[in-house]
Amino acid sequence: MSLRRATGAVFRRELQLFAKRKSDWANPLVFFLIVCALFPFAVGSESERLKLMGIGVIFVGALLAAMLSLPRLFDEDSRDGSLELMLTSTEPLAMLILARVAALSLALGLALAAVTPLFAVFYSLPFDVSAMLALTVLMAVPTLLLIGAIAAALLVSARGGAILTAVLVLPLTIPTLIFGAGAALKVFYGESPVAELALQGAFMLLALALCPLAAAAALKISTD
Amino acid sequence: MARTEQQSNEKYSGRWFWRYASPATFYPLAGTLEKICWIIAAVLTVIGLYLGLLRAPVDAQQGEVYRVIFIHVPAAWMAMVLYMAMAFWCFTGLVLGTRLSFIMSHAIAPTGALMTVVALVTGSLWGRPAWGTYWVWDAKLTSFLILFFLYVGYMALAAAFDDKKKGDRASALIALVGAVNVPIIYFSTVWWNSLHQGPSVARAGGPSMAASMLAPMLILTFAFWAYCIAAVMHRVRTKIIERERDAAWLAEAVK
Repeated sequence: MSLRRATGAVFRRELQLFAKRKSDWANPLVFFLIVCALFPFAVGSESERLKLMGIGVIFVGALLAAMLSLPRLFDEDSRDGSLELMLTSTEPLAMLILARVAALSLALGLALAAVTPLFAVFYSLPFDVSAMLALTVLMAVPTLLLIGAIAAALLVSARGGAILTAVLVLPLTIPTLIFGAGAALKVFYGESPVAELALQGAFMLLALALCPLAAAAALKISTD
Repeated sequence: MARTEQQSNEKYSGRWFWRYASPATFYPLAGTLEKICWIIAAVLTVIGLYLGLLRAPVDAQQGEVYRVIFIHVPAAWMAMVLYMAMAFWCFTGLVLGTRLSFIMSHAIAPTGALMTVVALVTGSLWGRPAWGTYWVWDAKLTSFLILFFLYVGYMALAAAFDDKKKGDRASALIALVGAVNVPIIYFSTVWWNSLHQGPSVARAGGPSMAASMLAPMLILTFAFWAYCIAAVMHRVRTKIIERERDAAWLAEAVK
């Protein structure tokens, strides 16, 4: 089987699974919705304050929702044995992992980005800000999933996975948080968000280059 | 077991450095290092604190408060140095597969985390009189907080595996991922502040330090080095005992 066919098959399988199992995409979205709805109760409903808060809350909420989907990258496969098949494949493991993460990023990223402008209404954000927020969420989800794939791969065989994933992954996503929310803030203040977008893109590309290799090494360690 | 250790020691006897990759040969060396370093740490701490707290002049701008620097700066340096040392041993362990490397990195992590906490706490105690607040979201403070998270993540991951070897290698990988990320996180927080145009904190840089202030700081830095080495060596010895408890040489060594 050629590399292209193998990665294509993994990519398609991931998308099909995502489409079939409604809880996989419905739960992160509902979680995202609840996080966004909780904050106004805590900080008050004054609209000027909500606008500034909203950008950060929505972005962090999207990151947390994406993080909740990390266990599905490898956990189920390790239980039903398909992870073993992936490991015994002659194709480079890093590429197969990249295909999985790409499929999940595409599906989950689009889903989260699609509801972002909707949730921005809660915080009475202007349209251009919420559009920029949707774009940066779309860029942040792959970054988080790429970094998270390393942790998810390590924790396949460990105890207390979910909390530990958060402890390991969230500190490493701070750059994308800074620049993603920063770009939307720039639009909010009527300035050009190009610098933030470029830096967020650079961070995403760096993750794209390094994380699949690290995740492959991690998977080999944890399934050893 | 004892025989194989001895044989491998003889095999590598020409290369003194590699000899100490074996827990059996390193155990006594660690004991000696520990004793020497405790003594150095104690002596230098007394001298450094005497010079720093009693002899160094009062700062013209900050008064007595600046004396926190004698603890704060050495702790901050050690926090960073120890992370690099930890990542170095993780790398060595992953590449060469030596047992002692992972023992070293596990032994370094708690001391590194402690130094990060000391730096953060003394920094915020200093910040209250100097900046008027315990905490500012400045790049240095933020990245130290994240450094603390990285230490905690490393230790938590190492503890999460029932299989010790797996835990060693898994946590080593996450330490290396963290090491790659530390500069990225630092620069993003620097740019974050410059981009957001946040309230600029009046940094108490002032003129370069006077010799009477610099000397105690350097002495205490060496004291911190010695303390960290001693603490790490103590932990290394404990971990060796824990991991090699069935080895024959150990029964001899701790008799």
